Amino acid sequence: MSSTPQDMPSFESLTTFDEPLRKQLKDAKRQERLEGRLGRHESRSSRHPTAPKRGNQWRLTIGIEIHAQLNTTQKLFSSAETSESRPNTNVAVFDLAFPGSQPKFQRATLIPALRAALALGCQIKRQSKFDRKHYFYQDQPAGYQITQYYEPYAVDGKLVLGKSDGITVEGAGKAVEVGIQQIQMEQDTAKSTMQDSTTALLDFNRAGHPLIEIITRPDMHSAPEAVACVRKIQSILQGVNAVTAGMEFGGLRADVNVSVAPSASCSLGQRVEIKNLNTLQSIEAAITAEQERQINILAAGGKVLGETRGWSLGSTETTRLRGKEGEVDYRYMPDPDIPPLIIGQDLIDYLKSDLPDLPHKIIDNLVADSDLTPKDARTLVALDGGERLVYFDEVRSQWNQLIIESTSREQSHSSVKEPSSAVRSMSAGEEFKGFDKMIANWVIHEIGHLVSNANLSSFDPASVPPEILASILHGMQNSNISRSSAKDLLRDVFATQTRKSKDLKVKQWLAKYSESSKDHVSIERFYSEMAGKVISSQPGVAEDIKNKSKLGKLNFLVGLMIKEGKARDDQIPVDPLEAERVLRAELGLPPVTTI
Amino acid sequence: MSSLLRQASRHVTNQVSLKALNAFITPPSVEGAFADELREEKVSPGDEGLSQSPIKGKVIAVKDNISTAEQATSCASALLDCYSSPFPATVVQRLKDAGAVVTGSTNMDEFGMGSDSMNSYFGPVKNAISHDLSAGGSSGGSAVAVATGQCHAALGTDTGGSVRLPAAYNGIIGFKPSYGMISRWGVVAYANSLDTVGILAKNTIEVGRVFAMARGYDSHDPTSLSEATRLMIEQKLGDHNSRKEARQTALHFGVPEEYNVQELQPAVRDAWICTLQRLQEAGHSVKPISLPATKIALSAYYVLAPAEASSNLAKYDGARYGRKTNNSRNTGDVLYSTTRGQGFGEEVRRRVLLGAFSLSAGAIDNYFKQAQKVRRLIQLDFNRAFLFQHPLMDSIDEGVSEADKVDFIISPTAQSTPPQLSELQHMDHVSSYSADVLTVPASLAGLPAISVPVSMVEEQASTGTESTPIGMQITGQYGTDSAVLSAAGMLESLFTKPR
Repeated sequence: MSSTPQDMPSFESLTTFDEPLRKQLKDAKRQERLEGRLGRHESRSSRHPTAPKRGNQWRLTIGIEIHAQLNTTQKLFSSAETSESRPNTNVAVFDLAFPGSQPKFQRATLIPALRAALALGCQIKRQSKFDRKHYFYQDQPAGYQITQYYEPYAVDGKLVLGKSDGITVEGAGKAVEVGIQQIQMEQDTAKSTMQDSTTALLDFNRAGHPLIEIITRPDMHSAPEAVACVRKIQSILQGVNAVTAGMEFGGLRADVNVSVAPSASCSLGQRVEIKNLNTLQSIEAAITAEQERQINILAAGGKVLGETRGWSLGSTETTRLRGKEGEVDYRYMPDPDIPPLIIGQDLIDYLKSDLPDLPHKIIDNLVADSDLTPKDARTLVALDGGERLVYFDEVRSQWNQLIIESTSREQSHSSVKEPSSAVRSMSAGEEFKGFDKMIANWVIHEIGHLVSNANLSSFDPASVPPEILASILHGMQNSNISRSSAKDLLRDVFATQTRKSKDLKVKQWLAKYSESSKDHVSIERFYSEMAGKVISSQPGVAEDIKNKSKLGKLNFLVGLMIKEGKARDDQIPVDPLEAERVLRAELGLPPVTTI
Repeated sequence: MSSLLRQASRHVTNQVSLKALNAFITPPSVEGAFADELREEKVSPGDEGLSQSPIKGKVIAVKDNISTAEQATSCASALLDCYSSPFPATVVQRLKDAGAVVTGSTNMDEFGMGSDSMNSYFGPVKNAISHDLSAGGSSGGSAVAVATGQCHAALGTDTGGSVRLPAAYNGIIGFKPSYGMISRWGVVAYANSLDTVGILAKNTIEVGRVFAMARGYDSHDPTSLSEATRLMIEQKLGDHNSRKEARQTALHFGVPEEYNVQELQPAVRDAWICTLQRLQEAGHSVKPISLPATKIALSAYYVLAPAEASSNLAKYDGARYGRKTNNSRNTGDVLYSTTRGQGFGEEVRRRVLLGAFSLSAGAIDNYFKQAQKVRRLIQLDFNRAFLFQHPLMDSIDEGVSEADKVDFIISPTAQSTPPQLSELQHMDHVSSYSADVLTVPASLAGLPAISVPVSMVEEQASTGTESTPIGMQITGQYGTDSAVLSAAGMLESLFTKPR
């Protein structure tokens, strides 16, 4: 396929980022939960360095194959869409391998695949081809998977793992370079859900969904390195909007090749493949366990067998799936129906120029010009799809403003001619670096507590305007208020502002509602309409309340009204107290007695 | 009753009386909407003007590996017995749109694997001329149905000669177009890179009429030639012809020395010689040419086709396609092995195993990859021989002077007359593969080729023997389908016109 400039508009819609920073950070949103896990991870691995006591004698070598679901609306070879829907609704005849059906490469799937390859520094092949990989399985209707075995579309990429990736390398500052051997496009299989030991339900919506398989070179030598590599690849793929979801959503899975050899030996040990790891923890745990197993065998004078092994959560050792003799011969054959894929340089250039900054680059920059730890920087980037980083930035600049104001006040009030330390550091070009860590701490943790205590999914900056947080922190820093008073203050601000903004939303909505409606609509009218609707939809419940005085069931109707409000396009927040009042009136019950 | 309906009814009557030939798996039917239409004389041959489709109202049967929306598509396999496709093949839809009555699915070798139409779950097909002879395969049912008037024309599929060989054995025309001319969407794959929908009819004109309606770009088939490519080929061919016509109108026929194999039956060799004589008498030139890779073509074919087949037939594992058998526990715990072991016929099992072997890690370099190289050599052989440059390949100067090049290649379609069924039973399987030796090269190169029946009236009169059909094969350069059809029409006339 060669692209012409006329093709561009359609690509544009896929690739334009209005606000590159925000957009890419939004994609990193899903990593939020992951980060939580990683925190634990790092601490664990630092407590138990992966090289065991006898680790010096042995060298561990790891290569990884990562399968990631491409973020595209099209399946790889059929006209069916990829969107989530009821099982077995997005299935074309080719996805079920109907006799006489043929594949048709969907150009749109190439865009995220190319973005991924470019972001991983790969060379894009002008021509690539598709091959069939044969094996029988229930989730594979054709008896083969279409992949790129002989001629993949991208080769020779590179990934650098450094301090900001949580890698501690002996000999400070040294980075680990991981080569990307190749990336290939391939089909996903149907999704199997085991009902019981003999029944599997198959959802063919996933069959034919485009995947990329990223194959690294065996350049990693510890479990944390492998984890950092997968994590970084994942964040890069999400950063360029190439993949659907991270590991925790099943959008990414990895096969890991592990070998152990005596440190003195120049050659690699026998490679063992561990298949289907779909969380970062399982990658680390499986590698550590496999390393132990192989060292034990070698130390006892045994021989490691080339085989495929599996890992399940909670186990202490990998388990053998099949040995060399049971190895599947995939009988790779060029697919005779699919013509070679020709990728034009113009398309590559276009996508290259359109590639946004990657999250790891932002993290690196943040660490470089502040005193934030890489971990804090990563967390800021990951929280609220990047909104928290923007908020942090605003608080920081408000803080700087306050410092400048107070120092100039200080100067005018003071007879001392010596400039304050803050001004000194500013004139030296340093931007109050020492306080970044403290500000980040409040933005991440204190605000985090408030948000989680209020059961909110994300932090709304309006609930603690940046200038308010900045002045609270400033007061605390100047010892005008204590740390605990500062916390109380923050909590009060958060509570009132949250309440206010909620009220504001109701008011705004009502204003809009009455504007758009020709009749005059009052709040009462709106509530009574909703109440009437809910009551008529639940005649039984209404009966119980009216005639059997089962007042407890009122709450059920209130819940329905709230749900009703949320379900609307304009998502009206329904006040439960008002709802109950109106419901009572509609049902002819006495008004609620307030204490 | 309109004449079309009469004609159609005659086909059905023939089908009933000739049931013993076993040409059909699902017999044709002219009941229902079509018959009503004919009765109401909405379709009549009288007003067959230019605006009218030449195949309107004609009964066309299709091989049982071509999907229709109405009837089952079994590929003559137990595994697909009672399988009905939810969508029709594009070629079927095109013929219907042109007014043809597509009905009846014809018997064949299972999944197209065979040269005698003996490997069918529904029993063997009998030759139209003599019940003791092979009908040819794998489109034997289509050939016999046409030859015996059970339909007007029929579609077959030709992977290594499966349309041309049965046409030759039953004394009719069998045409394999260039690869990519007719859509394969809805045609159950045997070996995709070779599979070609072909047309069988009693004369070249009818073949041409069906072909004109059947061909065309189909976005569902990734190997279908695009409109732009078709136009480009037409233009190149037009330029070529206008240059040539300025000089002369006679055609150049090449006679490949490698096709004059030792196994060629004397009767077939005689028919070939007779054909060459008549061509010369008609003012055309006949030249010896060389296609050196021919010798290894058959071996390459029997590596490539089974390899693709082993892949294409992997889907019949009993999970979705094919019958699930219950006693799978006995066979090493592999769910599908009983289904496949019992469902596939012997020849299909043989080729699937052969293909799986030649693709296996230890063998692919020596078999599959070598065969692919041979295929390329065969293409180059043909390119050296033809005057018209391959429209989709870069021209290379091969040092063959234009005077030695030809418009068409003429050879027998098969090295023998239809073999006796009794002989076939004693033949070992691999030597039966040699029936395809003269048809396989054009398949590997994707070239248009047609089998034309030649009958030698004088010779038969002198010896007093029963007429046994012999087919002559005309092969043209890629994309010269219409030229091949008109050359076939010319050859046909040399044997039908009183001289």
